[in-house]
Amino acid sequence: MFPRARNEHWRSWLGSLLLLAACQQLAAAGLIKAKAWLAPVLIEQAWTESLERGGLPVKPWPWADTWPVARLRVPGRKLERLVLAGDSGNALAFGPGHALASSALGGAGLAVIGGHRDTHFAFLQHLLPGEQIQLQLPDRSWREYRVETIEVVDSSRQSLARDTEVERLLLVTCYPFDALRANGPLRYVIAARPESAFQMLSRRM
Amino acid sequence: MKQYDRVYYHLMRDAGRLGGLPLWLVFRALPALLGTALVLLVLSAVPARAMAQEGGGDLTLASLASGQMLLQGDRPGHYVPALLQSSKARFAISGMIATVVVEQSFRNDSSSAVEGVYAFPLPDDAAVRSMEMVIGERRIIGQIREKSQALKIYDAAKAAGKKASLVEQQRPNLFTNRVAGIGAGERIIVRLEYVQRVTFANGVFSLRFPTTITPRYMPGRPLEQNPEQEPPPALAVNPRLGWAVATDQVPDAASVSPLQFPQEGDERAPLNPLEISVRLDMGMPLARVEAPYHDIALARRASVYHIQLADGVTEMDRDFVLTWQPVSGASPTAALFTEQVAGEYYGLLMVLPPARERAGPAPPREIIFVVDTSGSMGGVAIAQARDSLSRALLELRPEDRFNIIEFNSSHRALYRRPMPASRHHVQQAREFVRLLRADGGTEMLPALRAALDPPREGDGMAEQLPLRQVIFITDGAVGNEVALFEEISARLGESRLFTVGIGSAPNSWFMREAARFGRGSHTHIGALEEVGAKMAALFAQLSESSAVNLNVNWPVPVEACPERLPDLYLGQPLLVAVRFGTEAPAGEVVVSADIAGQPWRQQIQLSDGADPVTAARHDGVASLWAQQKITSLLDGLVLGRDGDAVRAQVLPLALRHRLLSPYTSFVAVEEVVSLPEGARADTVPVLNTRPRGQAPQTFAYPRTATTGPAKAWFGMLLLFAATLVRVLRQPEVDHVPASEE
Repeated sequence: MFPRARNEHWRSWLGSLLLLAACQQLAAAGLIKAKAWLAPVLIEQAWTESLERGGLPVKPWPWADTWPVARLRVPGRKLERLVLAGDSGNALAFGPGHALASSALGGAGLAVIGGHRDTHFAFLQHLLPGEQIQLQLPDRSWREYRVETIEVVDSSRQSLARDTEVERLLLVTCYPFDALRANGPLRYVIAARPESAFQMLSRRM
Repeated sequence: MKQYDRVYYHLMRDAGRLGGLPLWLVFRALPALLGTALVLLVLSAVPARAMAQEGGGDLTLASLASGQMLLQGDRPGHYVPALLQSSKARFAISGMIATVVVEQSFRNDSSSAVEGVYAFPLPDDAAVRSMEMVIGERRIIGQIREKSQALKIYDAAKAAGKKASLVEQQRPNLFTNRVAGIGAGERIIVRLEYVQRVTFANGVFSLRFPTTITPRYMPGRPLEQNPEQEPPPALAVNPRLGWAVATDQVPDAASVSPLQFPQEGDERAPLNPLEISVRLDMGMPLARVEAPYHDIALARRASVYHIQLADGVTEMDRDFVLTWQPVSGASPTAALFTEQVAGEYYGLLMVLPPARERAGPAPPREIIFVVDTSGSMGGVAIAQARDSLSRALLELRPEDRFNIIEFNSSHRALYRRPMPASRHHVQQAREFVRLLRADGGTEMLPALRAALDPPREGDGMAEQLPLRQVIFITDGAVGNEVALFEEISARLGESRLFTVGIGSAPNSWFMREAARFGRGSHTHIGALEEVGAKMAALFAQLSESSAVNLNVNWPVPVEACPERLPDLYLGQPLLVAVRFGTEAPAGEVVVSADIAGQPWRQQIQLSDGADPVTAARHDGVASLWAQQKITSLLDGLVLGRDGDAVRAQVLPLALRHRLLSPYTSFVAVEEVVSLPEGARADTVPVLNTRPRGQAPQTFAYPRTATTGPAKAWFGMLLLFAATLVRVLRQPEVDHVPASEE
């Protein structure tokens, strides 16, 4: 009787402990996802306001250290993402970020947008060469790009060359897409070139 | 009390209905917790509008930027930085010593207070001996402090909202200046003073003032960052405001990799303007005064020359070099300068051994060329390197043997072993050189190893040639200099290493020290037009005999630096810094050496003279001695001495002589609190200008993975384990009542 009861007791504790740890891990994972899925609502409002105010930066929440700088759209897949300023971890948690060390978006040179592979940029794995990508800039103009190449690079061996002449857009995310390791060196890089220099009139999206 | 009991009772009943506490936790508590968390997140994140600013022409996405470093300019792709830097350098050159005051002015054009971080180069042998901060009319004298103590003082001042400046040494030729509390529209000036020896080689005096930093390659594996720990909110690539990620070989990579302007420098509207004024007093007539990379205006009053830039201002995208030459016959061959500081006498001795014709032809030799073809050499640098190599190949004689090793991320040799310099081989080599392209990393260590390793015994051509010379052509843009020096001093053997610095802003420290540890000489080539003359001078040094067995005999006991005198190549002077002690030195110094197999000696009288070059009293000699002493103590790190022991010797020396060193920093704090309490000042990097003619800089890929999947996976695993524990218990629970009945 007694040993069994004690055994019972021990099992129940172990079970609860495991559950607690599981909750903690799942909650942490959930928080990452929740941040990724909830923030766009606020960022969307900030972007709308930013457009109304002629491209002034508008922070999505008071203590934010980033703000939307462009809208990225893949018309073929009915996908939209707001691009934030900066590609540091605290910007990428809320949306894809424009690497400040790269050229300005929509201008001459190589512009780089990075995003998390398991949230905002998970869709990159489905993109195919030739697909259209659109980018709305703070001045409401739209630029159109077409995916030119898709490659996987080793970021510990290669770095990005700064180019200020030829306009190119790089969408970068971690690779492989379903890996568990967060510090892997591989990057999935989609390079796009402007389809033409023409600008579409801004429409409500 | 009762209420709590009721709640507890209901909870227990609920748990019982669901079949136990664990299941209750999963199906009731977990969803409730998650739901609450989501609701809280939504509620707390109320959209807020950033404060708009009254518009200026250039104002777009950015000026209110927290930690933002660039304001978008009027044209797309052109930026105006929030913090503008301009420099003034005033040189006072007298004899063999230059005293230089560098004034860095920081103007904050944004509308909020910022902290500026500026990484800048200085000459590699500069003894930085004073610093002051100028705010309007006020001057605050910087104090020399132990490095971590200085940082503490600075951080405290910054936190209190005071204006402060902290100047640290990252490398002997790379420094950072942090300036806190630059209010909107304000200007803070930081003034540094350093003493430097004038270079004297081949009858030409010269002085080099670097202005920008060629982006360095950081070899090694990136140090794992704790993914939980998000970087502090700076929009630059990392907190020390450099673009590089720390690696196991270069842990301070971020501090030595300043960001650069995306656009090229502009001579007429410089991004980082530099003003230069030079007072040159050699006390002798000069045949010519030239600045090979800048247009200068020259004025002469008696024997004193005043030099300024022809346009008044220049872009900080290339080294400023000034060379001057006395009229023939007036060149000094020996000089001794002394200075008395705090009751002690210091001296600097310069002796130029005469050139002597070698009896008979130079012996055959083996020459290994090592050429850097990394990405940082892109642009004009690789063209200069190719030209230098082709020129060098023409200097080879048929009895010499040679090989070429090119390296970037990996290295590749032209031949498996050095080959005779026959016409056929030289032709092959010229073709190899013509096809060199700059791309990839700078993995210098394996290439150095390959070049320095002596040829294996019994390898066909067993006969060892008497001279083995390695000519290393590079811009030195690496972050692991000390590891390379270690490699050179450990593997040198009978080889000699000569460095040829290439490009507009080479890493001069690497060039000089690599050559010193390699017991060779160093040369700088900054423009294609110089290649011919400089390579010819280098080959003259390679083939002429050097002065060996140098010895300096002092009349009184002294502490001399360097202790072990190097061999001297053609046209190189001997430079020794000494500390005499408290008694005024008197007597005769005797310098002796063997040149071309014959003994040579020279006496120098320790007494006053009227000529400034040989004049006894000279400001700065003590600082130069201390700097030289620190350098030789720091050599201990390369030679494998214990770091703490070296530090214990260097620190008191640097503090006593008030010199910037790896262990000491200058800090200046204004005692007035100028920022309102709670005001946030963002940290803004001062951007360097890209070295002239250099192909664009590279930057790292963003880190684009979260720990989400790993956490979810682990959470699921734990959940599964919990379920397993529960399921395994189930039958026993059913069993218990049965047994009791």
